[in-house]
Amino acid sequence: MRAFIQKATVILSVLIVCLIGILDENSNAQSSQSPGFEAAGSHLTPSERAGREIWFFATAFNDRFFTYSYPQRLGATIDWYRILAAKNRPDLFQAWGAIPNPDCCVPGADGCPAKSMDETFGFPWCPGDAELLKYVGKTGYRDPACDFGDAPFDENTPHGKIDQRQSACDLRFGTSTGALGLRKFPNPRFDLEQWLKVNGSRDNWDGYANPLSDDPGNGDSRVTRLFDGSVEPPFRIGMACGACHISYDPLNPPADPAKPEWQNIKGLVGNQYSRVSQMLGSGMSPNLLEWQLIARSRPGVVDTSALPMDTVHNPGTMNAIYNFARRPKFSHRVLKWRKVDSCSQESPESCWCEPEKQNKCWKLSEKVEEVQHILKGGEDSIGALEAIQRVYFNIGSCGEQCWLNHVPDLRAIDPNQRNYGQTPFRIGQCRRDCSSFRAIEDRLANLGAYFFSERPTDLWKARGLSSREELEKQLDEEFGEGSVKLGSELFARPCAECHSSQDEPYEAVDFHAVDPKDPTLRIDFLSNEEPVPVTAVGTFAGRAMHSNHMPSKIWDEYAARDLAERKPLEKLKEITKGSGRGYYRPPSLLSLWAYAPFMHNNAIGPEICGRPGSGDDELYSSPYVDENDKPLANPPACVPFDPGVEGRYKLFKDSMRLLLNPKERLRKVNLTDHEIIFDVTPDIKIGDTEASFSVKVPKGYPVVLLNSLRFKDLVQDVVLSSRNPEKLVAKYKGRISDERFETLKAGLEQVREVLLKEAVKFELNIGAADTSFVQEYYSNVLNYVENGGHDFGSDLSDREKNALIAFLATL
Amino acid sequence: MFDKSGFPFLALVLSGLLLLASCDDGPVKDGPVVPFAAIEDTTLKDPDNPTVKFRVDMAKVEHDFPLSRPDRMKLNPENLAAMTQEQVDQVYGRLTAGPVPDGVYRGSLFFARGDSVRPLSDDFRVRLEEVFGGIGGRLKGKKIELLEKVGRGLWKGKVFYRDKRILRNMIEDLKPFERIIDDPDGIMTIKIPRSGWLGYILPSNRVSLLFPAKLFCGQSLMDSRRESIIIDYLFSDEIEGYRKSPDSLAGRGGLKVRDEIRMVRPGLYLGRAYANKLFLLNFVLHNQELAEQGAEAFLAQDPIAEDCWSGEQQRSATLQ
Repeated sequence: MRAFIQKATVILSVLIVCLIGILDENSNAQSSQSPGFEAAGSHLTPSERAGREIWFFATAFNDRFFTYSYPQRLGATIDWYRILAAKNRPDLFQAWGAIPNPDCCVPGADGCPAKSMDETFGFPWCPGDAELLKYVGKTGYRDPACDFGDAPFDENTPHGKIDQRQSACDLRFGTSTGALGLRKFPNPRFDLEQWLKVNGSRDNWDGYANPLSDDPGNGDSRVTRLFDGSVEPPFRIGMACGACHISYDPLNPPADPAKPEWQNIKGLVGNQYSRVSQMLGSGMSPNLLEWQLIARSRPGVVDTSALPMDTVHNPGTMNAIYNFARRPKFSHRVLKWRKVDSCSQESPESCWCEPEKQNKCWKLSEKVEEVQHILKGGEDSIGALEAIQRVYFNIGSCGEQCWLNHVPDLRAIDPNQRNYGQTPFRIGQCRRDCSSFRAIEDRLANLGAYFFSERPTDLWKARGLSSREELEKQLDEEFGEGSVKLGSELFARPCAECHSSQDEPYEAVDFHAVDPKDPTLRIDFLSNEEPVPVTAVGTFAGRAMHSNHMPSKIWDEYAARDLAERKPLEKLKEITKGSGRGYYRPPSLLSLWAYAPFMHNNAIGPEICGRPGSGDDELYSSPYVDENDKPLANPPACVPFDPGVEGRYKLFKDSMRLLLNPKERLRKVNLTDHEIIFDVTPDIKIGDTEASFSVKVPKGYPVVLLNSLRFKDLVQDVVLSSRNPEKLVAKYKGRISDERFETLKAGLEQVREVLLKEAVKFELNIGAADTSFVQEYYSNVLNYVENGGHDFGSDLSDREKNALIAFLATL
Repeated sequence: MFDKSGFPFLALVLSGLLLLASCDDGPVKDGPVVPFAAIEDTTLKDPDNPTVKFRVDMAKVEHDFPLSRPDRMKLNPENLAAMTQEQVDQVYGRLTAGPVPDGVYRGSLFFARGDSVRPLSDDFRVRLEEVFGGIGGRLKGKKIELLEKVGRGLWKGKVFYRDKRILRNMIEDLKPFERIIDDPDGIMTIKIPRSGWLGYILPSNRVSLLFPAKLFCGQSLMDSRRESIIIDYLFSDEIEGYRKSPDSLAGRGGLKVRDEIRMVRPGLYLGRAYANKLFLLNFVLHNQELAEQGAEAFLAQDPIAEDCWSGEQQRSATLQ
């Protein structure tokens, strides 16, 4: 009966939406192209609905970033055809963790409007493509975002009563690629004649994406035309925020993850299966440094700071966005742009009015405000809406206009030249120079409303039970009489100190309490959100060493002014510490049962993996190593992706057992699976003279050590040690002890001796024993075991551990 | 010896290597012909590396010190070559790609010159001797002189084939390369007007066309805010007339040379050369005839064709 009512509601909603679509003059609006999408959000307010549509579809013009900046400026390529080809659609979820768009179809399949792959250049057919495909190789495409139905304008801000929002066209929706969150746009520069020459026919991208040679001994076996900027693909692919956050609803998972329906899909739950890191490296040879920088991470995590080249290996989870109305806030000194109705005589750098708009002005000012701590270390700390806006830069939006000039060039090794290191992104400049920034900013309230609309996904609901009490009975049956109650008492003692947003005494706290005014809203965020020193929690330190929000670094303007005043942690052995680094925000435990494995890098728990039909796209590699960091001969098998209720629950239990029993955890260290040679300068030979400088990383080397190596600092210090020792002293004065400085100098001399011995052809092997000092002085992350730490609860008895697991399943 | 190999790009590469060991030589003399922002942004300090000095953000440079068309008319190959690298960068960042060139452009290259923030020797030969001679003792004296000669003397410029989106480099004297060139007799050649006093006696000379490259609009490796015209040697083996030796030296099996250019004014482009993404040197491409033809209309603010994406940062109408 319940299922029937659910189905009937959906059908009714679809019918209503269809009717609205017929009546609505904006017939190209994205929502009207997908009645299923609209129906799944029909319970939301107009503002929440608008925010949801932006979250799912808006790319804010990052198709240029992924097509041009990413390969040409950052040196990395994505093989979109390998991921998105219609012929590979059955593997979309299993290989890449991507969520198939229920509205798309394979050309030639029954009922699919496209009859052959030729029509779609090998891609799936998706709503809106009838129009889009007409514009491949032409200008004049009208983006579906132009017909976006904006939510009512807020007249109660200093910007006045006139709706002067930036054109919705600048949200840039395009049409679906077949994977939710990945959008395509017709490339006006596409040249069909050239494309046919490269690929042989319209229905594939093989000539564009495949290596130029099949011979492994030929250098061309590591080269594809993805790096050839003269070849323009038919589509430019963009990414919406939803690419990482849309996933299967734990309360209503699909029967077949390869064929979901819209009611199985939610936009804010976080995609713990996503292989977006591997997607970002899919067009590259694993021998390349850039591949190792980007693509070495487990499902559901991505190193969003990798693009700004911070040389900190810190992949983090795309966690669920639940119950934000109860997320704790903290008082901080917040310097940011605030809406005002005019600017007087101030400099445009501190007050700016948008040209040709009335009273649409912004003023930069510092105030003490209550703000949330966002990101794993709470670094985004000037407001939730600003943090949402910053997500768009993580996915490439406004890259050319605003932030790529602030990203280091890996090969710029003189500290006084442009592009040597990060410089601060300027919010005011981006507002002025990027129309897509303004298009998003003018609708942040809608995105915020959507964020605040999502609620936890309780296990009792997922199991179709009538109440939490019924679940507790089931758990007591499974774990033993009284387990949930005992678990609750155990949780109140040590755990709640970090994992509750309520006040002591925790023995008296109801962790499940709901807001009487809104029974769907939980009172407890299940995290106090206070920064905890990584040295206290002991987990993998990479994410805590995040540096992008420090003074002079790229996201400096998104940090509260007092973030850098956090106490430096003396126990950290890294030279680069302080300035706000070294802390973790305790994660919320809401709906914990649905989000294993655990920790910010998904490393505590079994490894999970997809099982693609095509072995070529099997992306799993075992991270299990022995005490000497050598790969285990017989590592545990990975657990296949299972978004079903019981699959999630089992993974939760298995992960909890490893969390509470640290001695049972097998060490996890991702190792390089290829030898990497990074040419700092080209390798040249002139007659009998050779000259080159390269950094070599052996196969089997911890990836974190490679990705966190400040090699530019090393090069600078080698030069300074011989040519300007005084400057070297000044560089380290007050940062390390005299004794440590002497060791550093000796190490640098050792490197220099190698250099002299090697004449002008110099290869620095960072895995060699005689360069071991390099890591000590030049790594941003020295603790490289990925699943260590958080030993809390390890001293409990087995009975107590089981009880705690039972209680946590109710959260 | 060098007669076994060698071409202008080798000079470019070696000049790039010297950036590795940049030190404390004095700045070049001042005398800007156009406005510039400060050479250093002193408001920024890197907590991890107090020796780092910052440049002024390019968006701010352009906003605060836009280059007018009369300013751009003041720029020429000689005064550009005399600028510090930061000044060259600031000029480049305030240009747009303009139209993809067509026809013959004479070229001259120049190396990075230091300033008080980033001192570099302006003596190319001294630098090479210091870096290579100082370490290996292998590369000095006459070898360096020859490299310099190759770089500055033999490369004469580029011939653009706009419709085909390709170009070829003009090399004046093939003697240093003869032993490494495949089928030297079959090399494409072109006659160009001779420059200098000899031009009064012999008005033209024949140059060889080597090192073909592809042309497209793409990303600048220095200033992301708008596209540049890219001259890419990575896939040049697909271009008619390509010969593996010596053309492959610039390609994906060799130095992976990639140039980018933006238009200063009609007939004059400012370029940057990279090998394997390492910045090597600057160059200018000049077509005197087009420069003279287009000067009046340019100063009269006639619109300029923009073949590439020119970004979103607004530039005053009088500056475009």
